[in-house]
Parts: sequence; structure tokens; C-alpha cells
Amino acid sequence: MSYTADISRNSPGCFLFLVDQSGSMKDSLGGEPNSTKMDGAADALNRVLDAISQRCSQGMDIRDYFHVGVITYTTDSSGNTQLETPLPGTTPEQPFLAISEVVDVAEVEERQVKESDGAGGIVEVTRKFPVWLRPKAGYGTPMCAALTAASTALSDWTAQHQDSYPPMVINITDGEAGDGDPVAWAQHIMELETNDGNVLVYNVHLSEMSAAPVQYPSDEDEVSIDEYARQMFRMSSVFPDSVVEMASGMGLPVAQGSRGYVYNADLVSLVQFLDIGTRAASDLR
Amino acid sequence: MRLRPPRTFRLPKAGNRPEEYEDASLAVYPQHMGVSGRRTARVSVSDGASESAFAREWANILTDAFVDRPPDISGLTEDSLRDWLAPAQEEWWGGVPWDRIPWHGEAKARAGAFATLLGLTIASVPDDPQRLSWQGLAVGDSCLFLVRDDRLQFSFPLEDAAEFDNSPALVCSNPASAGGLWESVRLISGECAPGDLLILATDALACWFLASHAASENPWKTLLALDTPAWDAWVEEQRRAGSMHNDDTTLVIIEVV
Repeated sequence: MSYTADISRNSPGCFLFLVDQSGSMKDSLGGEPNSTKMDGAADALNRVLDAISQRCSQGMDIRDYFHVGVITYTTDSSGNTQLETPLPGTTPEQPFLAISEVVDVAEVEERQVKESDGAGGIVEVTRKFPVWLRPKAGYGTPMCAALTAASTALSDWTAQHQDSYPPMVINITDGEAGDGDPVAWAQHIMELETNDGNVLVYNVHLSEMSAAPVQYPSDEDEVSIDEYARQMFRMSSVFPDSVVEMASGMGLPVAQGSRGYVYNADLVSLVQFLDIGTRAASDLR
Repeated sequence: MRLRPPRTFRLPKAGNRPEEYEDASLAVYPQHMGVSGRRTARVSVSDGASESAFAREWANILTDAFVDRPPDISGLTEDSLRDWLAPAQEEWWGGVPWDRIPWHGEAKARAGAFATLLGLTIASVPDDPQRLSWQGLAVGDSCLFLVRDDRLQFSFPLEDAAEFDNSPALVCSNPASAGGLWESVRLISGECAPGDLLILATDALACWFLASHAASENPWKTLLALDTPAWDAWVEEQRRAGSMHNDDTTLVIIEVV
């Protein structure tokens, strides 16, 4: 059976995040008028890396259950592709750090937040917020170049980790690839595999529209918003049975055939979506 | 009737260091049960949840607490359970090095550690010191088996290998996160007969035991035949064969003679 491998330090899991930093990411985020898409993308990525780190934390120590990579993509003003890796010491060719290295390169901010005091009141306390990615937006959207880089890096990773739970690629974008048809590139990534199954490609499609979000569709007609949404649907993996079961248990609207695709997600559903990826592989042993 | 000295076997999950072992167990028993006055043997097993912080410490505190000051199982109420847990929870909280925790461990430590608890007490019957009775308490999937006359009398609290999953009931070290604990407590009691075998096991071994029994085998015979050197090799073999999950594995065997 596929997608059942335990995640351990001997056979770690893998996340590769691709983050669109094109100029249109400066536009406001659907459902969050005071926030931009680039803010939403950075905030969601930071939160999910925080969540992954905490899942691996034992208190004082952290166990290397996951390898994590982040590749951002945009162009310069002349249209030249710019792939960057905000995790220090990584490159688009070798984007991965073990989670114990990821926690070390976070910039940790202390913020005042209001929390319940457990007795019906609210108290203001200082909490630590790790930051890996700052909001940024440039010019074009070389999504195909980012997917190509991901494919190369994951081809190496899967060859070296054949017993691992298959890697998850999470592409956070507003959807309009500027350098060709990304579907073929995404499908090429989905053909990569470990002994436990094929690489999973999930897409988080940010929009400035305030239309109702579409979450985990199983039919392309559910995303007939525009051609870009259809394209993103086709470049998203169908959730494996084990993910469907786990996501249903979390109360998320998924069914057999649902794809790892959310459109016009607000911040809450964004983080929820990304949490699926980390929890699907939650059997940390 | 008397008890043979409890035998305890442990093996960490393959790939983990011994200091990462997150199961805990403790057994204390009087040399002469029921000869003079009311004496009690106490045995406890706990399986710390790896996904929580300082789980190993919590599992050890729980097993120690059960043996050092066992709760009154027959009179247990939601309030008395909470009162019994409180000093253990304070001990855990006081042992967390709050000023040195890295950022990724803080929220998890505040949420508290989680662990299963299986506790067993065996004592002479007040008016008849020749008879022994026992009481068990369980939260989660660490299991107690009673074997009598070469047959499995019962399995507690889980009865089927299919019941094991990744979300067992757990005892939390943070009282604020311990809601619903009372609903997950299982209690059991009975009387010993000569020749009884009481077996306590954490989930990987308990699941193997029930699957083996369901396949019409007598898993207790396999366990009884093991000594400490043979135990490690036997568990490793089951893991390799895929018949036992690779997880911290703890076994305590008590024989009534």
C-alpha cells in the first residue's frame, strides 16, 4: 500500500515549497482586504514551517523527521528568471535542509499577543514567532522554471530516500505562469517516486477576488473560474486515501478524488491546507 | 499464593538512542504477599507520546507516582483522579527547564506532555490473606492480559489488534489540557488463581499479542520462554518480519504461584 511509510530519522519526509514572488503578488488577498497576496504567502509559509518545526520538537531537542526546501520565483525587470532560496546555505539545485538546521536559521521575533488566561479572561503575553520568508514581489512569474528546478532537486532526493514517505511540493502562487504551460512540468514531478508512492504536488492559488473559496475539488468543473484555475487543478495531485481519511478526521471538506488544490484561500484555510501536508505524514516514530 | 518477582523487558525503537526511550515501567512487590497484614504489589507501565515535549520525563513521573502512592482504584472518582494527578503534574512542570527551551519547544511544553498509563495493584483479601485480588487502571493503549489455565481470560482495555491507532487516550501533564480524561479511564478488578499470568505491554507488543492470539496461537508461551538476551533478538526479528511495529517496546510479566 502506498503513502503509509513511517516518517523517521532514517527515512525522513520532505517538503519543497515554491513561492511565487511576481509583481501581481502585491495585490490584495481575497477575503483579507488589509493583506496582500505576498503577505499571505509569507505568513502562511512561516506558520507552516513553525508547525513542522514544532511537530519535530521534543522540547530541548529536535528530531530530523523532515527535510525542507523553499524556492521563490520571479523575474528581474528584463524578464530574466530569478530563483532564490531563502533558507541560508541552500541553492535551487540543492534546496533542502534538515529541520534541525531549519530551526537554526529562523529569525525569531517576539510579539505581544492576547491569549485566554484559562479563567475567562484575556492576558497579553510575549510569544516567539520564527520568520524565514519576508514578503517580496518582483516582476514576472517563471513557474515552469521553478517546477523544473523542483523536479531536478526531487529527482536527487527521491533517489537517495527510496524508503521515505513521498515528498510533497507545495506551490503558493496567484496562478498565471509567464513561461509556458506548467501542467506538463508538474506532472513530470508527479512521476517521481519513492517505494511508498509518487511525489505529491499541491497548489495554493491566491486571488484578489472575494468569491467563495474552492477547496480540494474533485472535478475540474468546480474550478471553472478561469483557465488558470483549471490549469492549477490539473497540476494538483489527487489526495491519497490515507490523506483523505486524515483530512476528513480533521473536519476538512475532502472526498475520494479530491485534489490538493485550494483557490482564493484566506489565511485560515491556507494554514489548514498546509497542515494537511504535515499531518498526512503524522505518524512520527 | 505468592508472586514470582516481576520480570521486565525493554527495547527502544530501532534507530533511536537508549536515552530517547519514551516508555517507562516500574514494579514493586512484597516478598511475602498476605502473610502479615495487607501488602500491595504495584506495577505500572506508561508510553510517552513522541509528538509531545518532555514525554519521557512524564511517563517516568506517572509510573513512579502509581507505584509510590497508588490511587484508590475501587473508590476512584473524577475528583480523586484529578487530585491524585496534581502532584505529578506539578513535578513535571517544575522539571521543565523553562529558561533554556529553544523557541520550537516552548508552545509544546506549555501544552504539556502526554502519555498512556496502565497501573495494576495486587493485594491480599482483607479477611482472607491466602487470597489475592487485583485492580487495574488504564488510560490509552498499554494493555494488561490475564492468562489462566493456558487460555487468555481477558485483554484490557483493548481487545482487538484492529483497535490500535495513532490516537490513543493519553494523560496530560498540563491540567488545562486534561479535559476528557475521566471519560477515557478504564477500570477492572478480579481475583488471582494459582498459575495466573499477568502480562503488561505497551502498544507495539500488545498489538502483536492480540494479533497472534487471534491467529489461534498462544503468544504468552513465546513471551514466557524469553530471557533478557533472547528478548532483544526476538523483538528485532518480529520488527524485521513486519509482525511488530518498530516502536519502544516494554513487557512486564507477573506469575502467580
